Amino acid sequence: MSGLIRFLRTQNPTLTQTDWQIWYPKADDDHVPVGKYIIPFQYWLTHRDNHLLLERALAGEIGVWFAATDDVIDHKQLIHAGQKLWPMVAVHFPIFRDGRGYSTAALLRERLAWTGPVWAIGDVLIDQLDQLARVGFDHFVLRADQDHELGLCKFEQFSVRMQDSWRYPRTLNPIHQAEVLTA
Amino acid sequence: MYRYDEIDQSLVQERSAQFAEQVVRRLKHQISEDEFKPLRLQNGLYLQRHAYMLRVAIPYGMLSSAQLRTLAKIAKYYDRGYGHFTTRQNIQFNWIDLEEAPLILEELAAVQMHAIQTSGNCIRNITSDPFAGVAADEYIDPRPICELLRQWSTLHPEFAFLPRKFKIAVNSAAEDRTVLLCHDVGIELKRGDQDVLLANIYAGGGMGRTPMLAELIKTDMPWQDLPAYLTALLRVYNRHGRRDNIYKARIKILVKALGVDDFAKQVEEEWTHTKITYAPWTDVDWQRVAQHFTKPPYKKLPALFQEQFIQALQPNERVGFMRWFERNVREHQVAGYSSVVLSLKPHRTQAPGDATAEQMNAIAELADRYSFGELRVTHEQNLVLADVESTQLVALWQEAKRLGLALSNIGLLTDIIACPGGDFCSLANAKSIPIAKAIQERFDHLDYLHDVGDVSINISGCINSCGHHHVGNIGILGVDKDGEEWFQVTLGGAQGHEAAIGKVIGRAFLADEIPAVIDRLIKTYVNERYDGERFIQTVWRLGLEPFKQAAYADDAKEKEGVV
Ligand code: HEM
Ligand code: SF4
Repeated sequence: MSGLIRFLRTQNPTLTQTDWQIWYPKADDDHVPVGKYIIPFQYWLTHRDNHLLLERALAGEIGVWFAATDDVIDHKQLIHAGQKLWPMVAVHFPIFRDGRGYSTAALLRERLAWTGPVWAIGDVLIDQLDQLARVGFDHFVLRADQDHELGLCKFEQFSVRMQDSWRYPRTLNPIHQAEVLTA
Repeated sequence: MYRYDEIDQSLVQERSAQFAEQVVRRLKHQISEDEFKPLRLQNGLYLQRHAYMLRVAIPYGMLSSAQLRTLAKIAKYYDRGYGHFTTRQNIQFNWIDLEEAPLILEELAAVQMHAIQTSGNCIRNITSDPFAGVAADEYIDPRPICELLRQWSTLHPEFAFLPRKFKIAVNSAAEDRTVLLCHDVGIELKRGDQDVLLANIYAGGGMGRTPMLAELIKTDMPWQDLPAYLTALLRVYNRHGRRDNIYKARIKILVKALGVDDFAKQVEEEWTHTKITYAPWTDVDWQRVAQHFTKPPYKKLPALFQEQFIQALQPNERVGFMRWFERNVREHQVAGYSSVVLSLKPHRTQAPGDATAEQMNAIAELADRYSFGELRVTHEQNLVLADVESTQLVALWQEAKRLGLALSNIGLLTDIIACPGGDFCSLANAKSIPIAKAIQERFDHLDYLHDVGDVSINISGCINSCGHHHVGNIGILGVDKDGEEWFQVTLGGAQGHEAAIGKVIGRAFLADEIPAVIDRLIKTYVNERYDGERFIQTVWRLGLEPFKQAAYADDAKEKEGVV
């Protein structure tokens, strides 16, 4: 069990617990441990014909996480098929300042039409939560040392936004808004 | 000039509140320095040689007199009495306490300014032509686009952690005054049929260790598509730009590695998708910002002729004024008006681009009295009063002279662009400011300077090229040899449409050799030039060889045992 911030598009952020675990296999790990696991997409790629793995996926016990180097556009078909199999996908941040995961999330939402949960995992810090939430993430597994309670407040620091994003359209003055919508 | 609406205002205030909270956590050691670093950088705070440096954005170079007074106040109360205008239309303060930074950001927010994304691996301050809206050679006023881009890039959620910093410049005049081709993205605006506003996009320029000029990747794009197109472009860069090596992380390396055609194709492909997701800018957006860039209430004035100025002057002032008029005054779109460049490069006394708090206040006063309360910052680190009644030029010149801002050296040898170098910057290999001073000292004779004419000297304290030495006609680069400061000279660089990257001429020099070396380069030009030929044209015509020989004349003598 670990702490998780859930912030669905239509709800307020809440701090909850999850029994899902993230699997970071070592070289000699050859099977996914028992339980509900989010596994590397690369592992899925090489083992997806393994019927044991498929059975566990069908039982709703397997999600996948993308590494910063995974190119989701190269795997459109698989991810599309995954909509029916995986309860979530996750994007891994090897270090908080590696920004590739932001574009990965945006692509999952925009180009791959992924509608299920997208988790942010790895080096996830509270000061990046707002940005992560805007590009498409709706679940956040914070790094263990982060102040989870304070993290909850980090989504409300801005009342306005200058860009369209997955979560919010850009803020416009009411007068202009009406005009843009009809334009 | 653009005025914030409630949305802009909320954003900068909420931003300064956010940073204040982060600083508190940093001071309580709840955030490590490593994790705090990108947060402070994206709020303009560098940790420098002596203290924190704060870099404040001056979007596309536009500044009101009220804003300049606030900058003066910050210089006076939070710094040591001066600020430094930079090549990217920002101002830097070199002596800032971390604890006071949030207060400063609040002061800035109160006059519609900020330090957002002036540093860090994100989209930096949008730069443009300092003569936007008044230049006689302008196709279209770029400022509404610049402002829309400022808004679009401010706290962009997807692009706050790019592989490296990202700089965008916008030009829309016959002459390029933005160094367009040295930016990660250069946007060139023009009018198409039926006056529609179109953009050409250049990508992959930049200086630093591997200088490159940007290449054209897209032509005739309707302005409304800019946010979707730039999102696509930045997304390709964010995903595929190198992150393993900081020296290879700029977009120029990606464009080079893929080839410009492949890069353009990938952006185009992504754009077919972002076009659907991101609403284009609309006429309503245009109106919302463009209403702030209408023409000021110009009077109907006759055009003035030189003889009319001369009559207003004392005989002993005439030569001085005419020199200033020739170098520092520019033609305006409207009859009877002129644009005036105030030189922040007085000989010897201060670093290029520096202005004291007193000067800033006095300049704000000049802007109020002579130029509708507005001014601009140039890439060459000078200031511009854009809308001066030509009948007022003499009076303005006299006042500017008293303030030490009227040196008639714009575009001349002593109008040096220099980075802060070893005096302030912790990355420096060498000091830039003393070199600039030494050159100014050597070439203090105005008659000679004017006779030599247009020459740009750009100095950087290290290979990061903040002083843009690659595109100086003469570039000077600080290099380190066994812990000693040396200076490498490049020749043949240029800005504008004829942008070129200079070539190193040979072994590096010691600081005290530099003024003599410059002197020999200039003498070579003076001896070899055709009538009316500029320094750079002579260099391009003759090639480096004669200049090399002149620069290293002493080496040759030494070899022959003459010295
Ligand atoms: C007057 C002061 C400064 C100005 C005008 C300035 C502006 C610039 C500009 C225009 C470049 C240009 C190269 C390009 O991308 O085309 C640059 C590069 C750079 N600057 Fe500064 N900067 C200044 C101070 C500093 C300071 C104090 C630091 C210290 C941390 C710094 C760090 C860098 C670095 C690391 C680069 C390398 C960029 C690259 O990879 O090309 N700069 N700066
Ligand atoms: S060029 Fe180098 S020395 Fe000069 S300001 Fe930039 S980083 Fe510092």
